[in-house]
Amino acid sequence: MANKSTDILEEYSDKEYEFGFVTDIEMEVAPKGLSEETIHFISAKKEEPAWLLEWRLKGYHSFLKQPAPTWQNFELPAVDFQDISYYAAPKSKAKYKSLDEVDPELISTFEKLGIPLSEQKLLAGVAVDAVFDSVSVATTYKETLKEQGIIFCSISEAVKEHPELVQKYLGSVVPYSDNLYASLNAAAFSDGSFVYIPKGVRCPMELSTYFRINTENTGQFERTLIIADEGSYVSYLEGCTAPKRDENQLHAAVVELIALENAEIKYSTVQNWYPGDKEGNGGIYNFVTKRGICKGAHSKISWTQVETGSAITWKYPSVILQGDYSSGEFYSVAVTKNKQIADTGTKMFHIGKQTKSRIISKGISAGEGQNSYRGLVQVGSKAEQARNFTQCDSLLIGDRCGAHTFPYIESKNKTATIEHEATTSKIGEDQIFYLNQRGIDTEKAVALIVNGYAKEVLNQLPMEFAVEAQKLLSISLEGSVG
Amino acid sequence: MTTTTSLYDQFTELYNKKETLNRNEWLHNLRREAFEAFTVQGFPTTRQEEWRFTNIAPFLKEAYTLEPAAASLHENKNAGSIPGLDAYEIVLKNGLLNVDVDIPGIRITPIRTGIQDPALQQYLGKHIAFRNNSFASLNTALFENGIIIEIAKNAVVDKPVHITHVYNAEEPFFSQPRILMIANRHSRAEIIESVFIKGRQSLFVNTVTECYIAENARLDQYHLQTAPGNAHFVNFTQVVQKGDSLYNNFTYTLPGAALVRNNLHLNLDGSNTESHLYGLYLTAGSQLVDNHTLVNHMKPHCLSNELYKGVLMDQSRAVFNGKIFVQQDAQKTNAFQQNNNMLLSDKAVVDSKPQLEIFADDVKCSHGSTVGSFNNEALFYLKARGIGEVAARNLLVNAFAFDVTNKIQIPAVREYVEKLIAHKMAEAYD
Repeated sequence: MANKSTDILEEYSDKEYEFGFVTDIEMEVAPKGLSEETIHFISAKKEEPAWLLEWRLKGYHSFLKQPAPTWQNFELPAVDFQDISYYAAPKSKAKYKSLDEVDPELISTFEKLGIPLSEQKLLAGVAVDAVFDSVSVATTYKETLKEQGIIFCSISEAVKEHPELVQKYLGSVVPYSDNLYASLNAAAFSDGSFVYIPKGVRCPMELSTYFRINTENTGQFERTLIIADEGSYVSYLEGCTAPKRDENQLHAAVVELIALENAEIKYSTVQNWYPGDKEGNGGIYNFVTKRGICKGAHSKISWTQVETGSAITWKYPSVILQGDYSSGEFYSVAVTKNKQIADTGTKMFHIGKQTKSRIISKGISAGEGQNSYRGLVQVGSKAEQARNFTQCDSLLIGDRCGAHTFPYIESKNKTATIEHEATTSKIGEDQIFYLNQRGIDTEKAVALIVNGYAKEVLNQLPMEFAVEAQKLLSISLEGSVG
Repeated sequence: MTTTTSLYDQFTELYNKKETLNRNEWLHNLRREAFEAFTVQGFPTTRQEEWRFTNIAPFLKEAYTLEPAAASLHENKNAGSIPGLDAYEIVLKNGLLNVDVDIPGIRITPIRTGIQDPALQQYLGKHIAFRNNSFASLNTALFENGIIIEIAKNAVVDKPVHITHVYNAEEPFFSQPRILMIANRHSRAEIIESVFIKGRQSLFVNTVTECYIAENARLDQYHLQTAPGNAHFVNFTQVVQKGDSLYNNFTYTLPGAALVRNNLHLNLDGSNTESHLYGLYLTAGSQLVDNHTLVNHMKPHCLSNELYKGVLMDQSRAVFNGKIFVQQDAQKTNAFQQNNNMLLSDKAVVDSKPQLEIFADDVKCSHGSTVGSFNNEALFYLKARGIGEVAARNLLVNAFAFDVTNKIQIPAVREYVEKLIAHKMAEAYD
């Protein structure tokens, strides 16, 4: 068994990133480095109004003032912000109406990733806003959504067509001065998605964007803004894969969600960016600021994430529970192997009365992977009868990995009820033995146990996504035995 | 800020004055290292993670005197005594031991004379991380008074040892006692510590206790923290456990002292050790009670179990931070931790932060933390059976605290603590 497990572990840790390839399309790249000129350049390229340029500059100045954070549970690699190019766009930049017009090489890139746009269009009924590097090249199902009054487009398009909505909500949840990476994003965000669901509309399909990092040395600074007006519902999917690179690439995205009265937003992420080789070289730095606000009463925001990629994942999708009776949810599975690091968790700010939050976090560490859960549950003095339940479990595979939890609980209201529990364990020999005894080999037994362990989170994903997530999880954990 | 600066200057002056007289080389080196660590850090601020919720600055504003007050404390037999407790009594006045005590199996020496013994080098200040603990560094650099308790090999002490710390707070006083306990192999002892304060001026006590528990030894330590509102305590306890040893810590904090900060650090430096940490904090008024514990599993096959419970009244504040580290070698570790809080007032605030850091895979670790108030169904159940509101609430608080109080193994101490809780609760509802 010991031998077997070593073999399997080796095979598993040798596993190369499956989706590593480079698409060769001419790019229009801005000169490296960030300065006021670069920001003017980006803003001019995108034909942005003056208020947005001004806002970007504010973000830039705030970025200059902030030192790099030091509280995280890993060594922050020095990122040379001046060695990054802040703008890249595919040269053949025409507006497409149908998939046939799209550059075939782009399409085949997506196909290699297993996300054929056309097939999805047919099978899943998913409208895909595919972001190839920075500029949206294909937006499907737009017409269908239009009938319902739903706006689903790239953020640069939204700036042009719905400036009043963008100006009102952009930066209202994650201000330009929020943190170093949010400031950087505010200054240099390239593109991203914009969603607006009008009053009382239930979005008929899952909205989805695939992000993909392509050009070398191009940081990705996506900005996503989702607004669910009174009584509306939307489910949004985000999924990522990136080609193999030796140089580290920085991804500092910002996601803002706004749920008004009785609205519900469900945001799901499957993240599988290049994690670096087994020595820990290369790989993506995924430093993301995600935050939602339940502005109105009875509103709801739910985050679900499956994190298997990136060299370093560092994000805390949070919910500000401002409206009375509003609720926030966070479901997460984070897998780290080789030298991957994940420092993730959530923050729930209970401000309104009768607010509820639920946190389920499952960490799986293998090889030399480090997994940290860092969370905050804060109950303000006006949050009567606030309720929180937190469960964070860690599963350890191998004796050189680590699992850490840093939950913060702050209560200022006596009627609030907060529960937190955390466990750390490895896959039990007795569990494996039980399955072996029934004719299931060790590898399958591990997959079975891990899938069962993560079920609670995977169940939260929309059907189309759950398949991909399960596939990812099984690839990630192939043959790992504790 | 200016006043804390002046306190800082006072310490610098005192250090320079004293260290020129110090002839003991290793002690001199230790003190210098500690004082340098203090100079680098200064007094902690809320910008530091360890002190995030506890702002120490307002408590350091007083113009404290650093030298023990000359006035002798008159004998008061009943001062700080626990009714019905049959124990060996030791009284420390401002940290000074001035009567010889004779306890079979235990050697007690004032730290002032004991420190000349070169054998102490292996214990004193050895296991404290000065760089992260500015108060412990300050104490190490400047401690003057305190005692060394050494329990002889194979000795089983027949009665508990009760140490009463008597402080004279007739003028604002900053005291820094030091206690070193060495439990040699196969020994067993129970140590109870309580406090008695005379005078109404501001008192700041910065204590460092070091416990070294050798193979197969057992040490039970009780801290009864009852004090009037003019008292401020910063306690740092560093425990080192060797193989097959057992350590129990009981910390009970009751309403009174304006500030209580307990740091309890355990290094489990041997296999098959067992450690139990029980804490109860009942807070009232504008009290701030902060418990920080750290259990460091360094070797395989160790068990640690921690249960801290808090009941908060009025506008009091409580902080709990429980760290469990499991090092790579510490396979087969079992580590459990639980923190439950009951908020009985709208203005009370609790900050709870359990923390697990695990670097080994074959472990069972868990922690749990809850914050809540009275269970309305339980209250209704009691009221439906003719029990009045106040009595029902008292009953529920007692039941909540029971998990911790019933762990006390000395009946007199248990009765004493339970009475104190009942008394404080009754006061709260009057």
